[in-house]
Amino acid sequence: MSDLLPAPTVSAAGLTLRYGRTAALDDVSLRLGEGVTGLLGPNGAGKTTLLRVLATAVPPDRGAFSVLGHDPGTSAGRQEVRRVLGYLPQTPGFHPDFSAFEFVDYVAILKELTDRTARHREVRRVLDAVALSDVRGRRLKKLSGGMRQRVALAAALVGDPGFLVLDEPTVGLDPEQRMRFRELIARAGEGRTVLLSTHQTEDVAMLCHRVIVMAGGRVRFEGTPAELAARAAGRVWSSTERDPGAWAGWRTGTGSFRNVGDPPEGADLLEPTLEDGYLLTLDGESSEVRAA
Amino acid sequence: MSETNEVRETVPTWHVAREDLRAYGRGELAPPMLWSADTHLMACAHCRAVLAEVSDPAPLDEGWERLDAELDAPRPGLMESLLVRTGMADHTARLLAATPVLRLSWLGAVAAVLAMTVVAVNSSRAPGTLSLFLALAPLLPLAGVALSYGPALDPTYEMAVVSPMHGFRLLMIRTVPVLTVALVLNGLATLALPSYGVRALAWLLPALALTATGLALTPRLGPVLAPALVGGVWVALLVVAQMSGDGTLAPYTVPGQGVAAAVAALATGFFYLRRDRFDAVSARVPFTGPSGGGAL
Repeated sequence: MSDLLPAPTVSAAGLTLRYGRTAALDDVSLRLGEGVTGLLGPNGAGKTTLLRVLATAVPPDRGAFSVLGHDPGTSAGRQEVRRVLGYLPQTPGFHPDFSAFEFVDYVAILKELTDRTARHREVRRVLDAVALSDVRGRRLKKLSGGMRQRVALAAALVGDPGFLVLDEPTVGLDPEQRMRFRELIARAGEGRTVLLSTHQTEDVAMLCHRVIVMAGGRVRFEGTPAELAARAAGRVWSSTERDPGAWAGWRTGTGSFRNVGDPPEGADLLEPTLEDGYLLTLDGESSEVRAA
Repeated sequence: MSETNEVRETVPTWHVAREDLRAYGRGELAPPMLWSADTHLMACAHCRAVLAEVSDPAPLDEGWERLDAELDAPRPGLMESLLVRTGMADHTARLLAATPVLRLSWLGAVAAVLAMTVVAVNSSRAPGTLSLFLALAPLLPLAGVALSYGPALDPTYEMAVVSPMHGFRLLMIRTVPVLTVALVLNGLATLALPSYGVRALAWLLPALALTATGLALTPRLGPVLAPALVGGVWVALLVVAQMSGDGTLAPYTVPGQGVAAAVAALATGFFYLRRDRFDAVSARVPFTGPSGGGAL
């Protein structure tokens, strides 16, 4: 958390949102800059809620944020934020009878592109960017899940938004599709601010230059992936049997156990990875991770 | 622009006239000749060559782009084409085409319900049967409007909410045609009840009152509970009126119509004042995605 962003493009302070008695967001403050930032956390950590607040879908109970200099707290400011926003929701809905072209065209209309020629040019551009030009006339219900996810990303890219919010964009994709999608996102991150939620540390390791870890509605870590991995320095060790003193341990491909936690005297220490740093950041936070 | 020998001055009838191509190149060719030229140019290399020769490059590029866009644009569905033909802007027609209640299946269902009611009213000469029609008719616009917007039925609701188009504007773009269509269908049904005269129109003010109240309560109660509650109250009101009154039910009397008009006006004003509330998902209800089949 040592490095400060030279020029934050998105910043939030004290964001709080409660659903009944549950605090989905509990005093969340963060700053984002250009490039891809990964938002990691177990289920129920508040990732989706944070993204929905930053995408202006839901107003926070308390706190404030700004996106590229616009304040979404006012009606006019919210409009401006929406003009520079691309949003891929966790479960992007589709009108199944629309073709890929029609769907992206529909979103382009919602984004105020009313001139038909200019709009269609933009629709072709974004469909091309996600390599779907060949199937643009096909109905969405006939496309595979991976293709539909790319259609949704194309819709988010309409209008060349400066702030791109992607909620678990790689969920449900097979490894090859995921790889392809990561390339698209990496390209999208050039010159814009991208915030991407995931529970795959692999996504973060391969894509993100910064990472935020959330648990229980709070930010637990904010920094670079290397800094997150460094948190586990001296706290990862190998053993032939499961170490009962470890906070988490699992058998690796070589047959030995990889343990994270407080190592015993003389333990065989290993080079920490992003995943180790993530697990230790969640230490005591998530029963789900502990069970895993 | 120099003339060349390759291009004949007198073009055969299946080629576009040189003058028209020049106008086409300047973007000044008017429909329907424009459409013919668009179609012909797709197929005719000869005319494309002439066009390239007689035109300034800049407007010509625009022409190619328009042609390209036309070729690429999907053919709109039946509803969308009809709307565009009536003079609606194509982007508005696309927004309406994404409205589930403007599909033929929904309109067919409403028409069928109305037809059955009309047949029932006409075939039974009992004095109370007109009330069946008058009770039902106001509920149809309410239901149509309720089903045209909201997270439960619009699979792209969340994307629409975070778009720069104001939620209230999108709501109006969808609600006004839905309401109009519902009122027209109700009106046609009324015409099929000539023996009851103007009394058969007593549904109109309650219909407006129920729809406006449903919309006004939506920001507070949500898009499902608000219209359901309003519909429930309407039915309860009729049941009470039926039990306590004799002859014409209270909402269809002159004072009843006056109350309906007042409620409609008040609710419309209230709804308009709270228009900004349609610009975000209610924070009280976690968004769980659409229940329809549109999601991934």
